[in-house]
Amino acid sequence: MIVEAKAISKSFPGVRSLDRVDFSVSAGEVRALVGENGAGKSTLIKIIAGAYTPDEGELHFDGGNVKWSSPHEAQAAGIHVIYQELVLFPEMTVAQNIFVNRQPRNSLRMIDYRAMKTRAKALLGDLGALIDVNEKIKRLSVANRQMVEIARALDSDAKLIVFDEPTAVLGGHEVELLFAIIRGLKQRGVAIVFISHRLDEIFEIADSATVLKDGKLVGSVPIAAVDRNKLVAMMIGRNLADIYPPKAQEGEVGEVVVDAKDIVVGTRVKGVSFEARKGEVLGVAGMVGAGRTELAHAVFGSLPLDGGSIHLVGQAAAKPSPARSIAAGLGFLTEDRKGEGLFMLLDLAANVTAPVLDTVGESIRLDRGAEKNIAQKQIRDYAIAATGPEASVANLSGGNQQKVLLGRWVISSRTALILDEPTRGVDVGAKVEIYRIIRQLARWGLAIIMISSELPEIVGLCDRVVVLCEGRKTGELAGLEVTENAVLQLAVARRDAMSAGRSA
Amino acid sequence: MSAVTSDPPRTAARQAIRQMPVSLLVVLGLIVLLLAIGVIASPRFASLNNFRNIFQQSAALGFVSLGQTIVVLTGGIDLSVGAMISLTSNFTSGWIDGDPNMVIPVVVGVIALGAAIGCVNGALSHYLRVHPLIVTLGMSAILQGCTLLYSLAPVGKVTDDFEAFAYGRIFGLSYGGLAMLALFALVGVFLHRTRTGNAIYVVGGDARGARLLGISVARTMMLAYAMSGTCAALTGVYLVSRMGSGDPWRGDGFDLASITPVVVGGTALSGGRGGPLGTLLGVYLISLLNNILNFMDVSTFYQWIVQGFIIITAVAIHVEKGRRA
Repeated sequence: MIVEAKAISKSFPGVRSLDRVDFSVSAGEVRALVGENGAGKSTLIKIIAGAYTPDEGELHFDGGNVKWSSPHEAQAAGIHVIYQELVLFPEMTVAQNIFVNRQPRNSLRMIDYRAMKTRAKALLGDLGALIDVNEKIKRLSVANRQMVEIARALDSDAKLIVFDEPTAVLGGHEVELLFAIIRGLKQRGVAIVFISHRLDEIFEIADSATVLKDGKLVGSVPIAAVDRNKLVAMMIGRNLADIYPPKAQEGEVGEVVVDAKDIVVGTRVKGVSFEARKGEVLGVAGMVGAGRTELAHAVFGSLPLDGGSIHLVGQAAAKPSPARSIAAGLGFLTEDRKGEGLFMLLDLAANVTAPVLDTVGESIRLDRGAEKNIAQKQIRDYAIAATGPEASVANLSGGNQQKVLLGRWVISSRTALILDEPTRGVDVGAKVEIYRIIRQLARWGLAIIMISSELPEIVGLCDRVVVLCEGRKTGELAGLEVTENAVLQLAVARRDAMSAGRSA
Repeated sequence: MSAVTSDPPRTAARQAIRQMPVSLLVVLGLIVLLLAIGVIASPRFASLNNFRNIFQQSAALGFVSLGQTIVVLTGGIDLSVGAMISLTSNFTSGWIDGDPNMVIPVVVGVIALGAAIGCVNGALSHYLRVHPLIVTLGMSAILQGCTLLYSLAPVGKVTDDFEAFAYGRIFGLSYGGLAMLALFALVGVFLHRTRTGNAIYVVGGDARGARLLGISVARTMMLAYAMSGTCAALTGVYLVSRMGSGDPWRGDGFDLASITPVVVGGTALSGGRGGPLGTLLGVYLISLLNNILNFMDVSTFYQWIVQGFIIITAVAIHVEKGRRA
């Protein structure tokens, strides 16, 4: 046992974040740590890594009872956490970053850059990473930046490496590389804790899983002893036969409200046509970079149209712009919640009513009372975990932020709603809630256009799916044709396979 | 893309140029341009004597900008250097007051005072979490007040030996200018080759990350501001040596003046990027510019206006570059 936490408890004002939780991981073991947001995963990791001190319980590391006084002390002992927000310095080189707090020095106590570069090369070579040690971090891809952090951990002889949602920012190929490295670390006898919302990854890489819920330990199980449904059931504490609401019935789907023809956006979207009907959930699937987001922006008018035409409810949108689209009853929930969606400095009420400002105020004065009433209703309807209309949106969890945004567009959308990765970074419980809301909106008569990289949710939620590959539409699936396999085939289809895709 | 390649044999100089940020090359280019303008503007410009003068006149700006560079590298700013120069210049001449035996104790004492006040700047900013802009602006008012309480007018005088700091020359190069160059080299080595110096870049790059990696942010901040205070005090001492006496308003204008070469030299106001070499080039660029404007009989007031334009332009250029990266 490298790390063993016994009956750890930790409270913050108003919250019991961890309640007598046991946790352990052995050398050469990959232990998945799973649970919804707020289940206590981060708190547990921070206690193990010395960023928090536990209120109760014991922490054993490498055979001895330990009480960390700082994260650095835990690091020096061999515990390394690779946080989602990497601790790297963009203006410094790869070598400088690896040795940022332990630069090799010569006999004059001067930093020995030659030795630093040699050692950096050796470490990255061990990882099989092809990275120039003289390159500045800011010029590296996110995947390579992770490699640099892993190299730093290796140099400090890490006995335990915690990966905090490392794959959230990686593409498919990069995830495979990371997994190869994790397997390598495992063989060296490093203990690994792996946190991820993606269950597929957990089943691929982990030996065992520890499930937390509401600060309590649900259980620790060998991964071979559970299946996907069992694990999800443990995480959300109820059975999950009904993750996805029932699909649209015959007769619920109405007329075409969004009709896009031969849409061209720069070189990213090369002539894609689709239509979305009232009452249906239309999925837009494809690999990252297939042009899905650009297509959505073009339809909404937030990216210029380089070709093609768009009809909204039968009317030609001559020169689409977000303002016109909103006026036509179209809504758009962007992929980048923080950057494009939420006004982090404003409260919940102001965020919810942003696109309908003209309805909550007379002339130029805002009616804060009306604003609050609307927000209050949203909090109730969508089970948003917030203290009230005045809550700061910056403090809400990802799932709740997403619900705020959904609430915003529900108010203003009358014809169609475009959702770009609506459940990214959201825990399972909130996902189920969001799926329910999406289906309800369709049932109320909106056309939903949903972009998603998660195949299970495309298959589980969508009535019809348009699949893109490299800027072109490679196929369209409906009803029982919508299977993970069929979508995947089309998503990787090359241009020469297009005809085959169309007939599918 | 970035495969591990073995470095081809390359001379140190060529490698240095290759790794030199574009901003430094731009400053070098501007210096060459100014030299050309100077030659056209006045026949007396391109004389050895004039270049020696520029070398000498750049010393004060150099000392104070070097300290400012260190603080800006941490992502902070020191707006108390002007008042610090006034204070230390006044104390230096007032306390020495013509007594040769007092020179060394006073100079050491004044520089230590500068370091201590700088240290307080860093500590206040770090522990009270008040932006250094406000802390040092407040400190500036405190120091200026103390200076005026001590004396409302130039006070005391210094010994002839002491004036050698500014006027003594080796091979025609002033001691002050040489001392400034030596200090730049020393600080350059400190920042690049020691862990403590490197920590200044690390803290400026990401203070939260630095803390997670066990680098003391408090210590680093205090050190940086102490170094800036030291440099400002040294500037005060140097100016007394050049002017012959202290003056309660000696440092007026140095706050902005010390920042100009830093940003012109490519050090990012957000911290973590840049260094003394850029500042040194910036100092020579500004000194050269002022020298040419003098030759052209342009009023000092215009020099201020030009400086204002330069600082805004320099920062704007760097911001634009950051966005593209």
